[in-house]
Amino acid sequence: MANELNLALIIVLIIMAIGLAFSIGANDETLASLIGAGVLKFKIALIIGGIALGSGMIIFSQGFVPETVGKSLLGEGLEEQYTNYMLLTVLISSIFWLVVGSFAGIPLSSTHSLIGSIVGVVFVYALLQGGVDLNTAFNYEKLRDVILSWFISPLMGLLVTYVLFKIVAKFFLSRLRGLNQIEKSERSFKWMLLFVVLFAEIWVGANSGEALGILLGLRENNSISSGEYIGFVFICGIFSFLGIYFAARYVIKNLASHMIDTRPSEGFIIQSSSAIILMIATLFGLPISHSHVIVFCIVGLSIAQKKELDYKGLAKMGVFWILTFPIAAILAGFIYYSLSMFGFS
Amino acid sequence: MIEIDEKELNRLSIDKLTQLFMDVINEQTIILIEGIEYLIEENFENFETNLKTVIKANTEVQIKKKFESRIFKSKLMFSKADRLKLFNKINDIKNIGEFLANKMLLYKVVFPDEEFKLQILSILKSLKVISNSIANAVKSIGSDLGKAHDICENVKDERRKMRKEEWRLLNRLYNYDMDYLSRTFLYLKELIETIMMLADHIKTFSEYIQFLATKYLIFD
Repeated sequence: MANELNLALIIVLIIMAIGLAFSIGANDETLASLIGAGVLKFKIALIIGGIALGSGMIIFSQGFVPETVGKSLLGEGLEEQYTNYMLLTVLISSIFWLVVGSFAGIPLSSTHSLIGSIVGVVFVYALLQGGVDLNTAFNYEKLRDVILSWFISPLMGLLVTYVLFKIVAKFFLSRLRGLNQIEKSERSFKWMLLFVVLFAEIWVGANSGEALGILLGLRENNSISSGEYIGFVFICGIFSFLGIYFAARYVIKNLASHMIDTRPSEGFIIQSSSAIILMIATLFGLPISHSHVIVFCIVGLSIAQKKELDYKGLAKMGVFWILTFPIAAILAGFIYYSLSMFGFS
Repeated sequence: MIEIDEKELNRLSIDKLTQLFMDVINEQTIILIEGIEYLIEENFENFETNLKTVIKANTEVQIKKKFESRIFKSKLMFSKADRLKLFNKINDIKNIGEFLANKMLLYKVVFPDEEFKLQILSILKSLKVISNSIANAVKSIGSDLGKAHDICENVKDERRKMRKEEWRLLNRLYNYDMDYLSRTFLYLKELIETIMMLADHIKTFSEYIQFLATKYLIFD
């Protein structure tokens, strides 16, 4: 009976992880600047973008961000392993908080929500289980690096975009005098934008470790084999592609229609900066919020162009940015505590 | 009048089509202004010929159609809307000019005195200046937005001068003797106000070109 229940739980976790991979694709708006600039036909852009996202996810599935989420955040006290109920709680909590955020119209980060949930679950687990010391339950060094990266990555995005724009403006854009010249140069930027968006898309896939982190957690506690893990990674990659192709098209179309006036050179600078930040964070195995990085890249460009900033919108984002982590942690802790009361730990 | 060859049109870029369109409209505006000058000289025959030329002219329609089909399929995304708006603003010069020509043909006025004639000639001279200037500004958009911006500044200055002249003229018109023929009064009032309507449109247009320069030029 216990074995059957555990098997059912593993199946549920795998299905949820695949669903999460689909939602990563469905919520990805990286392609909007490409569509807005009219570089490629809509469906072709979705297919190429989806392939890039899925490839990023698959290529960086052995280690990097999935390893941080599924293993490295845990300390020796937990032998770097989650129980399946812990993984279930992490998923329920982070999905619940994201759904609440979506209905309330609050911009939330799935990465912050997931890591917050992990912290809440591990904290309650350590308190409930005798013999698990809180000091060894977490890999505090890794946790510190992850949280620090949430502050550093947006600021770096802002700085990189600011500097990149100043360089491009000084040596190129400011030398263009007429609209014909500007249009001609923007046509070149359109093609550069194509490459940089696909490059960014790969790193978005690589840094979106939520789904693969859960699968890696299952692999680490021997619920699935290494071969099965690779198989499910491929399925996740395919589902993230399907997420972009079938679900993200609406948000991309909507965003793109607002970006028709945006110059491809601006899109190129923003996407280059965010791709660089995502790449560095991924190579260090740090899960960061892509949305926050992009927003700060746009802020960096606005500052460089001396444009007005929406301080109210930024403040709202900042508040929820800070609140997401503790709320997700409390929620996950509460859910896990409730499950434990019924003997599911 | 500028002659247009269909084959030649097919070879022109969006920018060149805009420039050609501007040239055609400017040429018609100048013919209209010269027609009003004939009216001042009481040369009614030439006045009628010029104004009817402006009304009947439709060479610009050919260019407009070509431009619209070209911009619809154009892959320019970020500047497409601005190019289209620019073209429509040029087209509005023609619309106002045609409106003015039709209105002026309703009656053949004799101007009250020499002073009035001189004042209205001064307004027409300024209108010619701003019409030619806006044509030059439009031609500079493709090659030098900074230059276009500066030309538009001159257009705005000239239009300010016209506004002062307009008030002087209206003041003079409203203070003529009471036995003054009301039809003449109405006609002259309409003439002055419609000329200024055209000048105001050119001034708004020049502000739009300055907006484009501000939008597209990047300074380090």
